[in-house]
Amino acid sequence: MTSIQKNWIWFLAILLLIVGSGIYLVNSRRTELGKSFSYSMEEYRKVDPALIKYEEVDSVSPDVGKLSALAITPDGQLIVGGEKGITGFPGVGTVSCLAVDEEGAIFAGMNDHVEVFPKVGKKIIWPVPGPKAYLTSIAVDDEFVFVADAGSRCIWRYGRDGGEPLKLEGDPMFYVPSPYFDLDIGTDGSLWVVNPGPHALENYRVDGSLISSWKNASYSIEGFSGCCNPSHFALMPDGAFVTAEKGLVRVKIHNLDGSLRCVVAAPDQFDDRVTGLDVAVDDAGRIYVLDPSRNQVRVFEEKKQ
Amino acid sequence: MSGKRRDFLKNIVRGGALAGIAGICAALGMRKNKYQCNGQCGDCKPDSSAECPMGGDGYVWQIDPEKCTQCGRCATHCVLAISAVKCVHSYSMCGYCDLCGGYQRSDAKGRTTGAENQLCPTAAIRRKFIEDPYYQYTIDEDLCVGCGLCVKGCEMFGNGSLYLQVKHDLCVNCNECAIAAACPSGAFRRVPASDPYLLKGGSANA
Repeated sequence: MTSIQKNWIWFLAILLLIVGSGIYLVNSRRTELGKSFSYSMEEYRKVDPALIKYEEVDSVSPDVGKLSALAITPDGQLIVGGEKGITGFPGVGTVSCLAVDEEGAIFAGMNDHVEVFPKVGKKIIWPVPGPKAYLTSIAVDDEFVFVADAGSRCIWRYGRDGGEPLKLEGDPMFYVPSPYFDLDIGTDGSLWVVNPGPHALENYRVDGSLISSWKNASYSIEGFSGCCNPSHFALMPDGAFVTAEKGLVRVKIHNLDGSLRCVVAAPDQFDDRVTGLDVAVDDAGRIYVLDPSRNQVRVFEEKKQ
Repeated sequence: MSGKRRDFLKNIVRGGALAGIAGICAALGMRKNKYQCNGQCGDCKPDSSAECPMGGDGYVWQIDPEKCTQCGRCATHCVLAISAVKCVHSYSMCGYCDLCGGYQRSDAKGRTTGAENQLCPTAAIRRKFIEDPYYQYTIDEDLCVGCGLCVKGCEMFGNGSLYLQVKHDLCVNCNECAIAAACPSGAFRRVPASDPYLLKGGSANA
């Protein structure tokens, strides 16, 4: 091989190296993000099986379109509302929340107004004050009808015959970042309300004065996490709270002091990111969970020992 | 003989290096000149009859927030050293929560602004107390790398007010966007340069 040939080989090798380096530099990029960029909630989705004291025993799929609300009648019947009305009252419109009184009259929140379906007689409409009304929960006792309005961030207290409602604004106020704002009436007639911003359950007298509260903001199983949790709750016959959450989707029972009693359904029993798990409890302690992603009402009973 | 070869090689290395550098600069410059567009000249607006001075087609790349799955490829596949994709915040949708899924780590020891409590690995989200229990969250674009970690946390626990967008003051609008090619959910699409953002919650964005 002559020296000229060797020189040309050297020339081509160096040129190739320079061009290759240029191409690499232009096209090189980070292939993977580091460990600190990973996001996983798997640790919190795992629940100790010993904590799960309930099991799913049944499920029902009422024909009211997309399900959105449920309630239990005094005689233990399940009433479900959806985009096509209420079971037994088809075609009344989209229902956002439901309650039934001792006589069987149904009180339905219809996003921005209340419709009452008496056992006998015609439907009655109660307007809700304010342009922002978005009704998310309703509860009724012998004297009052309480309506949670997430849009106006308040509770409206109606008399049994409707009329001008009294506005309850919380103590100091209800923090409602998204449309999840639930309430229920305790066995003593006092009002329990979720204050979803601070993840609190607050107990009020009927005039709106605060009696007590408890809260626990945490991603762990003992607390409530994220924005607006618990999204829904219902009271057990013994006064305990059945709570449903979004984000980390789970249903639990908390004692009156807020401590965790047990888990009804763990996150792996629901589809990811399902929201709007309305809950109800009958006199026997059976728990009804409205599952919008499966469009079913799922029934849970305490496991037999 | 060896002296001649050394001189020859020296000249080749010098010439080759200069040629290589010039080639790389030219390639980068050509790409930037050919495709950079942020819709600011206005020639692509519907009421304009002028042709695009950049030779573009009047469209730019953008992320559809409804399709984005926060896979992290926006941070790794952009041709720019730090991605042109940034997190943006819709104030009108934000819950201003104290326990914010987009700001705080799930295993945070407390709810302070300490680095150990922050979900963002580059500390690109700033938190400001408004009134109990409300906090305002803003994005520092210089620190944001577009990984979408905060978006994932916000989507999971919050109202989805944090989301990713291609920032057109940074994007070089490549004809074949490397992120679009790698996007697993088809969230990247061409939008008119005259309306280059797909905003959530109206225009109240950071």
